[in-house]
Amino acid sequence: MSVAALFPSRLRFGDWLETTAAWLLALLWIAPLAYAFWAAFHPSEYSTRFDLTAPLTLTNFTDALSQAPFARYMVNTFLLVTMLLAAQFILCTLAAFAFARFEFWGRDAAFALVLVQLMITPEILIVENYATLAGVGLIDTILGIGLPYMASAFGIFLLRQAFKTTPRELEEAARVEGCGWFGVLWRIYIPIAKPTYLAYGLVSVSHHWNNFLWPLVVTNSVETRPLTVGLAIFGAPESGVDWSIISAATLLSVSPLLIAFLLFQRQFIQSFMHAGIK
Amino acid sequence: MFKMFRKAVLGVAAAGCLLYAGAVQAKTELTMYYPVAVGGPLTKIVDGMVVDFMKENPDIKVNAIYAGNYNDARIKALAALKSGKPAQLSVMFSIDIYDLIEQDAIVAFDDIVETAEEKAWLQSFYPSLMENGRTMGKTWGVPFQRSTIVMYYNKDAFKSAGLDPNKPPQNWEELASAAKKLTQPDGSRWGIMIPSTGYPYWMFGALAMQNGQVLMNSDGNETFFDHPKVVGALQFWKDLGSKHKVMPAGAIEWGTLRKNFLEGRTAMMWHSTGNLTAVKKNANFDFGVAMLPASAQRGTPTGGGNFYIFKKTTPAERKASMKLIRFMTSPERAAEWSKKTGYIGISPDAYNTPTLQEYVKTFPPAAVARDQLQFATAELSTFQTGRVRKLLDDAIQSALTGAKEPAEALADAQAQAKTLLMDYK
Repeated sequence: MSVAALFPSRLRFGDWLETTAAWLLALLWIAPLAYAFWAAFHPSEYSTRFDLTAPLTLTNFTDALSQAPFARYMVNTFLLVTMLLAAQFILCTLAAFAFARFEFWGRDAAFALVLVQLMITPEILIVENYATLAGVGLIDTILGIGLPYMASAFGIFLLRQAFKTTPRELEEAARVEGCGWFGVLWRIYIPIAKPTYLAYGLVSVSHHWNNFLWPLVVTNSVETRPLTVGLAIFGAPESGVDWSIISAATLLSVSPLLIAFLLFQRQFIQSFMHAGIK
Repeated sequence: MFKMFRKAVLGVAAAGCLLYAGAVQAKTELTMYYPVAVGGPLTKIVDGMVVDFMKENPDIKVNAIYAGNYNDARIKALAALKSGKPAQLSVMFSIDIYDLIEQDAIVAFDDIVETAEEKAWLQSFYPSLMENGRTMGKTWGVPFQRSTIVMYYNKDAFKSAGLDPNKPPQNWEELASAAKKLTQPDGSRWGIMIPSTGYPYWMFGALAMQNGQVLMNSDGNETFFDHPKVVGALQFWKDLGSKHKVMPAGAIEWGTLRKNFLEGRTAMMWHSTGNLTAVKKNANFDFGVAMLPASAQRGTPTGGGNFYIFKKTTPAERKASMKLIRFMTSPERAAEWSKKTGYIGISPDAYNTPTLQEYVKTFPPAAVARDQLQFATAELSTFQTGRVRKLLDDAIQSALTGAKEPAEALADAQAQAKTLLMDYK
C-alpha cells in the first residue's frame, strides 16, 4: 500500500523536475534572442536597463541599414544557400545511393575517405581552397563560396544511413513493376528518406547562413558578399560594440530563418526525431 | 549540375574579359584590403577617401575591400598571396609585422622610396607610432588607423565624491585613493575598470611601461615578462581589485566596458582612443579624458593598423601603392579620418591642419592621445606573436582571477615565450 502510494508521487516529482529543467533550458536558449529584441527596439540608453516604460524606436534598424547594403546581402545569402542545398541534395543523394546499394571494388575505402572529410575543419583548407578557386577564376562569386561545401561528407553519410535502413522488399516490388535504378531511387528511396532530407537541409541552411570566415575571404564585392559579412562591420573589436545597433542588425540577418523556423517548427522537430540527429 | 557548370563558364569568361580590359587601358589596378576595428560607418569613410584618390589619379584604379577584423584581414591577405591573385597593399594589425616578414610577404618602405620628398614623408609621422612598423633597421609599416589607451573619467562622479573634476589622478597612488573615494560601498559604482578580456596584454603594456619596463625588445625575439617591474605592474593591477577593492575582482569584459562607463557603473575606465567618438556621442554626463597615470613614468602602448605593401608587386604597382598610401596619410586626410573615427592624427602636420585645430579647440579631449604619444611605446609584437601574446594574456588572467600569483604566472609565461623565440635569436 505504502509503495503503491509512493510511486505516483515520485513520478509526479520526476515530471515536475523534468518540466522545470525543460523550462530552464528553454529560458537559457531564448535569453539571447529576447535580449536582442529588447536592445534592438529601444534607444541605446536602455540596452542594459529593463524598464517597461522605455520608449520604442526603430532608429537602430535605420542606422544598421544605412551602414551596410543588407537587402543585397540578403539576396546573396539566399542565392548561396539555395544553390548550395540543391547541389548538395543531388551530389549527396547519388553518392549515398552508390555507397548504400552498389557493390564495387574499393567501396569501403572510398567511403572511409569521404568520412575523413568530417574530421578536417574547413578553416584549415582556406588557403588551399582559395588557390583552387583562383585557378578556375571563381574568386568573388557566389558559386565560389558554395563550391567547396557541395560534396558534403555529412550529407553523404546521413543519406547512406537512411538508404541502408530502407527495406529491400520495397525496392524489389518496384523492380517487379519495371523500375530501373533511377526509378527505384526516385520512387522508393528518396520519398522514404524525406525526413532525413529535411533535417539535413535545415542543418545545411543554418550552417551556411551563419558561415563567415570563408565567404569573407573569398569574396570582395557587395554583389557577392553574404549577410554575415555585413553584420561583421558592427563587431568593432577595438572599441567595444554598440549593442543596440548590433542587435538590430542581427535580427535583420536572422529574421528569415527565424520566421521559417516558427512556421515549420513542427515539421522540423518531427524530422529530427526521424532522422535521429539530436 | 548544369546550372553550376554554366555559372563556372560564365565566371571564367568574366575573369577573362577583365584581364583583357586591363591590358588595353594600361591602367594600374590596385587591390587594397582594410579591416574595421572600431564602431561607426568606417567602410563608407574609407570608400569615400578612395573615390577621392581615383578622381585625382585617373590612371590608377583602386578596389578597396573590407576584410573583417585584424585577424580576418591577415588570413584573407595571406590566402590571396599564396593563390597567385594577391592584393598589392593592405591595412593590417601593426603587430603582424614579424609574421608578415617571416612569410616573406611584405616589402620594406626603405626599398621603395626614391625621391628626397618621399624619404622626408617617411619621417613625417610621430616616432612612437613608427615603433611597431620598424624592425631590423627597416620600415615595414606606415601608420594609418592608430590608437593608444587613455583614461576616461566621469566628472559628475568626481564632483559628487568631493574630487576636483579637472584634476584626474596623475600617478598610481592618486589613482588608488581617488578610486577609493569614487567606489560606492553598495556596489552601484566602482572606482575604476581596466578591461582584462579581449586585449589584456595591451592594457598590461601600459602598466608595465608606467612601472619602467617594456615587454619586449625591438628585434621581436626576446620578452621581459618576468622582470621585477613587470611583476610589480601585474601586482598593482591585481591589487586594485583584491586589496584596494576599487575594481571588480576577476575578469572585466572589454566589449561591455564602454557601456558600464556610460551607465555610471564605473567612474573611470581605461580604453582605446577609438572609443572617443562613441563616448562623446552617448555620455549623458560631463566626462573627461586624461593621460594614463604614472608610476615611475607615464606610459601607454600604441595600437591599431598600419599600411603594408606586398612583395608580389610590379614596380608600377608599388609606385601606385605609394601614391595611395601617401594620399591616405596626408595631413588633411589624416585629420579628417581622426575627427570622424577617434583614431590619432598620425603626424604633427595633421594636428596643424585647420580641421584638427578647430576640433581640438571645441573638444579638448581629442588632444590627450596626441600629447600622450611622447610617452608611448610599441604594442607587444614579436615573432610567433599570436602565441606569445596568448601566453601573456593567460598569465594576466590567471593572476587577476587568483589562480596564480603574479610572479609565478609571469615566470611561466616567460619560460614558454623563451622556448618559442629560441629559433629567432
